[in-house]
Amino acid sequence: MAGDTPQPTGSGRRVKITQESVVTAIAALLFVVFSIFLNNFLTQGNILALLKNVAILGTLATGMGFIVVGRGIDLTMVAVMVVGVAFAIWLTTLGQGFFGAIVIGGGLVTACGLVTGLLIAVAEIPPIFATLAMASVIYGGGRVAFSSDVLYAPANVAWLSFIGSGTFLGLPASVAIFLALAALVAAFLRLTRFGRFVYATGDNPHAARTMGLPTRPVLVAQYIVAALIAYLAGILLTGLVSSINTRLYNSTLIYDVLLVVVLGGISLSGGQGGVRNVLVGTVLVGILINGMTILNFSYTSQNLIKSVILLAALALDAAINPRDEQTSQSGDI
Amino acid sequence: MSTIIEFRNATKSFAGIPAFRDIDFTLRKGEIHALLGENGAGKSTLTKVMAGVYRLSRGQMLLDGRDITLKGPADGLAQGIVMVFQETNLVPAMTVAQNIYLGDEKMFNRLRGLYIEARQFLVGMGFQVDPTAQVSTLGAAQKQMVEIARAVHHKARVIIFDEPTATLTPEEKKHFFMLLERMKAQGTAIVFITHALEEALQVSDRITVLRDGTLAATGPARDFTRASIVQAMVGRSLTETLHGAAPREPRPYGEKVLSVENLSCGTMVRNASFSVFGGQVTGIFGLVGAGRSEMAKVVAGVLKRDFMHGGEIRLNGRPVRYRVPRPAMRDGIVYVTEDRKLDGFFETMTAGQNLLLGELSTGRNPLTPVPLRRAAELAREWGGRLRLRQISDRARMIELSGGNQQKVVIAKSLIQKPKLVIFDEPTRGVDVGAIVEIHQLIHELADQGLAVVVISSYLPEIMAVSDRVLVAKRGKIVEEMTMAEASEEKIMFAAVH
Repeated sequence: MAGDTPQPTGSGRRVKITQESVVTAIAALLFVVFSIFLNNFLTQGNILALLKNVAILGTLATGMGFIVVGRGIDLTMVAVMVVGVAFAIWLTTLGQGFFGAIVIGGGLVTACGLVTGLLIAVAEIPPIFATLAMASVIYGGGRVAFSSDVLYAPANVAWLSFIGSGTFLGLPASVAIFLALAALVAAFLRLTRFGRFVYATGDNPHAARTMGLPTRPVLVAQYIVAALIAYLAGILLTGLVSSINTRLYNSTLIYDVLLVVVLGGISLSGGQGGVRNVLVGTVLVGILINGMTILNFSYTSQNLIKSVILLAALALDAAINPRDEQTSQSGDI
Repeated sequence: MSTIIEFRNATKSFAGIPAFRDIDFTLRKGEIHALLGENGAGKSTLTKVMAGVYRLSRGQMLLDGRDITLKGPADGLAQGIVMVFQETNLVPAMTVAQNIYLGDEKMFNRLRGLYIEARQFLVGMGFQVDPTAQVSTLGAAQKQMVEIARAVHHKARVIIFDEPTATLTPEEKKHFFMLLERMKAQGTAIVFITHALEEALQVSDRITVLRDGTLAATGPARDFTRASIVQAMVGRSLTETLHGAAPREPRPYGEKVLSVENLSCGTMVRNASFSVFGGQVTGIFGLVGAGRSEMAKVVAGVLKRDFMHGGEIRLNGRPVRYRVPRPAMRDGIVYVTEDRKLDGFFETMTAGQNLLLGELSTGRNPLTPVPLRRAAELAREWGGRLRLRQISDRARMIELSGGNQQKVVIAKSLIQKPKLVIFDEPTRGVDVGAIVEIHQLIHELADQGLAVVVISSYLPEIMAVSDRVLVAKRGKIVEEMTMAEASEEKIMFAAVH
């Protein structure tokens, strides 16, 4: 018992410094600094490139954020993204129409999400291990099936080239799709019964179960949705570069996605944060990567910098939101 | 006989609430000292102060006549005071020998040498345990022996046992008591907490009884009888009920809502049978380890693993078997947890958001929109009804007091419109004002016709809320009485023996 007198803790009337506001400030600062000191930063071409890169990263991070809010993690996202799209393209080489192939690919992706979700919800494998292993399985399956690493999307698919080069309300189509997705997920999380259940399971899975929330169906649904979002990211990527390189699985992309989520302020201890944090994190990481590229940092040193930031963000998260409640349990008679 | 440990006017409080106060206690060399009392009487806290886990808030602790403040369990260990907890502190994956020498290994640890040394050590103490056996394969008594061997290896002068015999078979118990005698002969002082009065009378040299954190009786074991111990443990006069609540007529039996026949699960519940009726409060009393919570958790589908080994549960005459809580909740059974922090509430959410989840949980369609202001509305509505005292409605649950947290947890369950409510220790860690309010609420629920079960190890609570009392012991319901025939002495008598 922590004492029964009301204690003034934290939530005073003062403006709280949240991770979100700090990250926004840093992003703005970086943007200004880069704009002043880097010649090529504030050009239309670069900003457009930045936005397009951000669309892929942000889409993936939206899916990841959706999982992390429920105290999970999904390391299969990049594998699902590349293998799902590659599978769809491979189907077109067998004579299937592109749109139909994308739909069938969606079925495969749903199945992947379903299996991952069942492993976590029913077999009760910790999400980090279940998804790590599933990622290898999915990618391995893709490697066996497709003979080449790079699969080229069929030319002359109007809607695919629109995603790549079209604009919507002045925004590149890929960015508009990302923003639409973010809005949809945000509304889903905040305004539906399902969304509240996701937060509840993330906050305290035991309490959610004991009070009779459908914790297992919620978990399975979460991983299916994340897989479908990853698939969407893959379609956006294919639209932008007209091909999919399955070797992307071996890149550090999944860590960039985690970096966005954690840096944005979605705690790995679950139940906190939302799509806004994803947007903030995406902008910061996007600016950072773009700036480093213009500065001509090597790929390796970029990775080093990002990893150090990820570690720092994780340490900060662990300090702000400790996972065990030991501290508050002291004094139990 | 010389005194090893002495407490003078010792008080230990947590956040201003005393766990025990003004206790004088002496422990002598070469004696077996039984420590008795109801759950929550302060026994465990007292022994934890001895072992250095807690420090006294007030008063003195003397070791060998010198004033001492132990800085932590390691300090206690260094002084030769060892505590053997209810759940053993052994590492299951290691062997017996490795456990005995744990924390005391040489730089280059040779297992063979260790086993030879351990075998000699164990034989010397007369323990028949194989030092190479993995601890997870041992029985409860043998684990106990390993714990003792470890304590002796650490040159313990004082060994404290917290309910050592609860998990032992009669045969193992006999062996355990022989061990105690042998250690006593070597001059070790032994404190043991127990609920089994016969054991205390039979084995110990002296007995101390605590009640509500104060010393109720202490003296040589031969001066006590069963009756005098129970009297000292309970100590309240018969007419006195909790916080002066007026005596009342027990409610009549309503419709039979739940019946449980020969329920068995794991080692905790063995052939338990009982019924629960609508429109009244069924109190289930039992000491820790009696299997009361487990019975309730099986009924409500809360128990995580499927341990049910047999028996039948009927809800309104229909056989049911819940493996997860959700279908039980849909059928109108809710379980209000004994450990609200573990599985009672959502700590980063506000009280209103917690209540909202209760309301949402009963629906099916996952895409149903949630009105934005609903959480605040619920907080207002139930806040008034439960006299919730909040600092602000934006305060997160973790920032509320224990009493307010518990009220929210209860309200969250009531929003689910249950027909059968099972309260497990409904007032644990709750301030006195809130206890009275929660008890009133429990009475109101029964008056509204709900079937209410209250599980408690606190006798005054059982007396204050129940219309009918069931007593659980070793996984069974051993006694059933109406409030008209129940008394604290009778209930305690049934529970301890």
